[in-house]
Amino acid sequence: MKSLKILFASQYNSTNSAKFFVKSFALVFAVCVIFVVPGIAEPTEEAAKEPVFWLWAFLGRLHPMIVHFPISLLFIALLMELLGRRSNKFNAAIRVLVYTGAASAVLSVILGLLLAGTEEYGSDVFSLHKWAGIATMIFGLLSAAAYKLSNRTIQKTLLTITVLGVTIAGHYGASLTHGEDYLTSVLPGNNAPAGEQNAASNFVLAAQTGPLNETQVQELNLQVRTIFAHNCYNCHGSAKVKGELRLDSKDAIFKGGEHGKVIVPGDVHKSELLRRIKLPRSDKKSMPTKGKGLTKEEIAVIEYWIKQGAPWPSGQLKSLYRVAELAPRLPNIPAATGDLNNPVDLFVNDYFQKNKIKWATPVDDRTYIRRVYIDVTGLLPPPDSIDVFLKDARPDKRSVLVSRLLSRNDDYAQHWLTFWNDALRNDYTGTGYITGGRWDITKWLYNSLKENKPYNEFVRQLVSPTKESQGFVKGIKWRGTINSSQSTEMQAAQNVAQVFLGLNLKCASCHDSFISDWKLEDSYAFANLFCDSILEINRCDKPTGIMASRRILYKELGEIDTSTVTQERLKQLADLLVQPKDGRLYRTLVNRVWAQVMGRGIIEPMDAMDNAPWSQDLLDWLAYDFVESGYDIKKLIYKILTSKTYQLPSVGVKEPEQIMSPNFVFNGMLRRRLTAEEFADAVSVAIQPVYADSMAVFKLLPEDFNKSIPFARASLVKNDPFLTALGRPNRETVSTSRTSQASLLQALELTNGSKFNDAMKYGAAKWKNKYPDTKTLVKEVYRNAIGRLPGKAEEDVAEKALGNAPTEAAIQDFMWAVALHPEFQLIY
Amino acid sequence: MKHNWNRRDFIRQTGAATLAAMAAAAPVPAILSGCNSKNKIAGNTSADTVILLWMAGGMAHTETFDPKRYTPFETGMEGNRVLSTFKSVPTALDGINFSEGLQSIGSVMDKGTLIRSYVAADMGHILHSRHQYHWHTCYEPPQTVAAPHIGAWVAKELGPKNPVIPAFVDIGQRFTVGEAEELKAFHTAGFLGSEYAPFMIPDPSEGLESVRPPVGMDAKRFEKRNQLYTDLINKSPLSELGSDYQKESLKRSMEQAYMLLNSPEAKAFDLSLEPKASYDIYNTGRFGLGCLLAKRLTQQGARFISVTTEYEPFMGFDTHENGHTRMVGMKKMIDAPVAQLVKDLHQSGHLDRTMIILASEFSRDMMVEGRPDAKVQEQVNQPDILNDLKFYGMHRHFTDGCSILMFGGGIKKGFVYGKTADERPCKSIENPVKIDQIHQTVYHALGIPEDKQYEIEKRPFYTTPDAKGKPVLELLDKAKA
Repeated sequence: MKSLKILFASQYNSTNSAKFFVKSFALVFAVCVIFVVPGIAEPTEEAAKEPVFWLWAFLGRLHPMIVHFPISLLFIALLMELLGRRSNKFNAAIRVLVYTGAASAVLSVILGLLLAGTEEYGSDVFSLHKWAGIATMIFGLLSAAAYKLSNRTIQKTLLTITVLGVTIAGHYGASLTHGEDYLTSVLPGNNAPAGEQNAASNFVLAAQTGPLNETQVQELNLQVRTIFAHNCYNCHGSAKVKGELRLDSKDAIFKGGEHGKVIVPGDVHKSELLRRIKLPRSDKKSMPTKGKGLTKEEIAVIEYWIKQGAPWPSGQLKSLYRVAELAPRLPNIPAATGDLNNPVDLFVNDYFQKNKIKWATPVDDRTYIRRVYIDVTGLLPPPDSIDVFLKDARPDKRSVLVSRLLSRNDDYAQHWLTFWNDALRNDYTGTGYITGGRWDITKWLYNSLKENKPYNEFVRQLVSPTKESQGFVKGIKWRGTINSSQSTEMQAAQNVAQVFLGLNLKCASCHDSFISDWKLEDSYAFANLFCDSILEINRCDKPTGIMASRRILYKELGEIDTSTVTQERLKQLADLLVQPKDGRLYRTLVNRVWAQVMGRGIIEPMDAMDNAPWSQDLLDWLAYDFVESGYDIKKLIYKILTSKTYQLPSVGVKEPEQIMSPNFVFNGMLRRRLTAEEFADAVSVAIQPVYADSMAVFKLLPEDFNKSIPFARASLVKNDPFLTALGRPNRETVSTSRTSQASLLQALELTNGSKFNDAMKYGAAKWKNKYPDTKTLVKEVYRNAIGRLPGKAEEDVAEKALGNAPTEAAIQDFMWAVALHPEFQLIY
Repeated sequence: MKHNWNRRDFIRQTGAATLAAMAAAAPVPAILSGCNSKNKIAGNTSADTVILLWMAGGMAHTETFDPKRYTPFETGMEGNRVLSTFKSVPTALDGINFSEGLQSIGSVMDKGTLIRSYVAADMGHILHSRHQYHWHTCYEPPQTVAAPHIGAWVAKELGPKNPVIPAFVDIGQRFTVGEAEELKAFHTAGFLGSEYAPFMIPDPSEGLESVRPPVGMDAKRFEKRNQLYTDLINKSPLSELGSDYQKESLKRSMEQAYMLLNSPEAKAFDLSLEPKASYDIYNTGRFGLGCLLAKRLTQQGARFISVTTEYEPFMGFDTHENGHTRMVGMKKMIDAPVAQLVKDLHQSGHLDRTMIILASEFSRDMMVEGRPDAKVQEQVNQPDILNDLKFYGMHRHFTDGCSILMFGGGIKKGFVYGKTADERPCKSIENPVKIDQIHQTVYHALGIPEDKQYEIEKRPFYTTPDAKGKPVLELLDKAKA
């Protein structure tokens, strides 16, 4: 602080010395660097926790006042410079303005840094403001020096830069205080789309004067409830009611807690709630008791709301949560451009332009054929087919290939069976079967996939089932007493909602949801559709004495005659669910299929279809087109697989967290690992069957299933430790995606587990006979497993390991190494 | 070096532990708001290894660690008179008796705590697999998401203690016996992901098979095979694709598996290396050898080991008839190895940081099925008058009073907690303990916070339901806890 005094004194007293400016500049710089910048300029959590010495806090808070000095002084200096450029009549005044402006800039920076150190800032905007401010200070000092020493041009240039700097710093400073969209939000055409308003922390209203209109009341109220939900519900909600206070409904908020009212509309001083959230965090009474406390902006919103009379909208409240549109939507297809004409590509192109992404060169034929073989049939391409495909000169050979693969109905069914078994929790063994409390739907499912049953019909038959397809809604019936949220009817409600509608009802089947607007009663009403009697509502497994009604989740879809028998009701439900106007059903499906072949959904997680997609247009169009194209899953797959988008090079991420991040940016298919079934089948095709054909669950499969199969596809065998280790779930609960990451247990299973190593062993014996010559053997193994010939270096390594007359053991080990090769294990 | 591995090192080293947020089904650490700030590992932990000794099938407390009045068998006797079918014998603790046949365990009770008031859940019609599911996961089946086994939670939160020994090892349970599917339902890491799943060793004498090169492959060939694998990857043009977590995690787990299978610690799995005198004490069958394996693994740095007497319907402790006769054998099976395990770990100094828990899904009684005030459907044909020795024993499933033993890892020494009535129904009458309290006590000793949770399908899933359970701090030595 001493340095400050010197600086001030000298600034005002100086009449001559140029040295003086150099000195003071160095001094200020030193102060910043040594004392301020490293210590408190970066607001850290530690800094926030430690109570700050009051003087620093006080001085810091002078920053918003002092900043106006450099802004106006320097600005006027520049104005005078421009106005008085002919005459020199302002010169003396300009000089004074520049000196004082620079000095106040220095002071502002120091106070600003103090402020940042004592309060919680930490955004990009803050950082921009900070550095713009420091830059302004430096240029201010340089300008001051120039007005002492230099010529007119340099003076003017430096001053202009300084004013520019102070403008930028001022803008970001205002953004910090008033919110980033303070300025831009009032510009025409800049209204955020409805869905996104929730996400933005908009502090727009607080600056508004005069009475609020209905929309503004809604918005403000939503902000207030959002703040309560994030900070207060945990202890003052339906789960816990501390101090007899609940903040999750209008009545509760105005009723107050054990010590009376917490909000006095219009009176910020008498509102206990406001007082408590404004208390220093060190105060025992400060609210919330845990965590960091509310931000300044959040407190300001609450304060403003109370000041405005704590308005509460009269009608339907706006949701705290993002809620996706139910209805289908047909977005305009962007005009064809360049060589793009598949609508998928046009929407992605639009997305790429917005995200400044360039189209990469499509993958080569070899990569493409491997991808589509696996994605359509779950099998590796035979080497001869690869050769033919590579030589094929037809320009449309890729789409021809996809069509051909899609017409291989059994292969297609045996691949997609795995996905649907997981989703519909259909398994060949498992809990429940032993006591007759569970039914498998394998026959029905296999046939449905094989004949490519239209998806509306597929859903209809699962929801309103025949004997063959009843397993899905009948659920698993356990002996003994079970939690009421796990009655078979509630299982049906949860699973129909999750699998078909991408909606999580699990919370709301025990209590009102904390993460959506779904209420306990909604879940019970939906479950009652599956129930012969009427279920009594249980809240957290405690009977409430209230009987639920019967109702479909989305009333926009229509009404169900509640007086009729269950079978008839389910028929009605199925009809309502599969209507084209149930856009959600079809968005959920196209998103799942997209994720299967692209490695990530357009929306993630796929069971949370209220989340934001990375491209709403693409999702909406795919769903709309799916309905228009006759609910045809194969057509959907064809559209995706023949798109340029699908043909983009695969993308890898360093950390799996990036995949689910809300900031995910689509660049192309995500590299995936083969699933347990795909891996087993790949080994079976390329090297040696992992499962003998007798291992397939023939009894559960359709009667006309061709029993003379070359090998049993892994999707058709019972779960075993090998498949479990590689990620096949136990299908007691719905599972709509698998993790793709390797683990030690998997590696152990592959390193010394008998299932896989036996296949290698038998394969080696077979291959030794077939290819006694090492060179040919190496080539053939590579061709079959990797889909290409080995490179020279690879050949050398392999031949060296095998020797001229390879033993079975050597061949076995070679095949093992190839099967564990990332190029074998990954879909790239 | 290997004993100081913590979770973070493990993640850094192996990368395989990254939270795979691939799926909706993948857990994300819950960060709903500022309200979850309690998620900090407590400073003082008292244990870093857990051994669960599982008495599968329902072990009668009155025939083991909580004996009541002994009534010898007489033809034509009234069943209701029988509370215990064995004499009581003294233990190392004054005034505390065990049932005859458990003298060895009795002799080490000065090193541990006896809980006599465990109360199992009330789940209606009693099924072993459901109660076992409940004991091991702390959740009543069925659940809407796959609940993890307590061993998987520990593996997830603390990682392996020694990187080459799987964090969660399960010894003794085969899935080829009855109710296999029901057993598999809780022998799982559930939504935590297969990385934390149990490493199953159904037969401890074949434990080595699981951690050594495939049968018929000698060390040299094993090494050569691994070298070939590495060389082929290095020469592959795929490396042009750059690295991503898939490829890296695959490579790293393969390296880790190789390291494990090649490591000197793998010898811990080889029971034939145990001195004969010691081996013979443990060798009462698969359970006894399981205890021996548990000892050897603990000494090399295991994290969570479960050893079971194995559940098979109507076998082992699941005595639907001949209860008395069967219990003679079952006690022989457990007495020596359990006591020896405690002694050996005490002697090698590992007991200080290793918590041993001996427990069962519920108890048994001759007359009461379920609990006295909530009787459920009878499953056992038990006459009121005993005309045949085969009816002499505890055959019904009793949930209202069970015994648990705990040793080491900060557990009080020579302590008894809770009490059951001395007359039928012999239910808990003092300090009843529920499963979530037991789990929380274990987590507390390990330093896993009470409200540890993951967000799964946007809902918080806690180690114990709604994080309501509290550790029973009375069980822990204050000097350590």
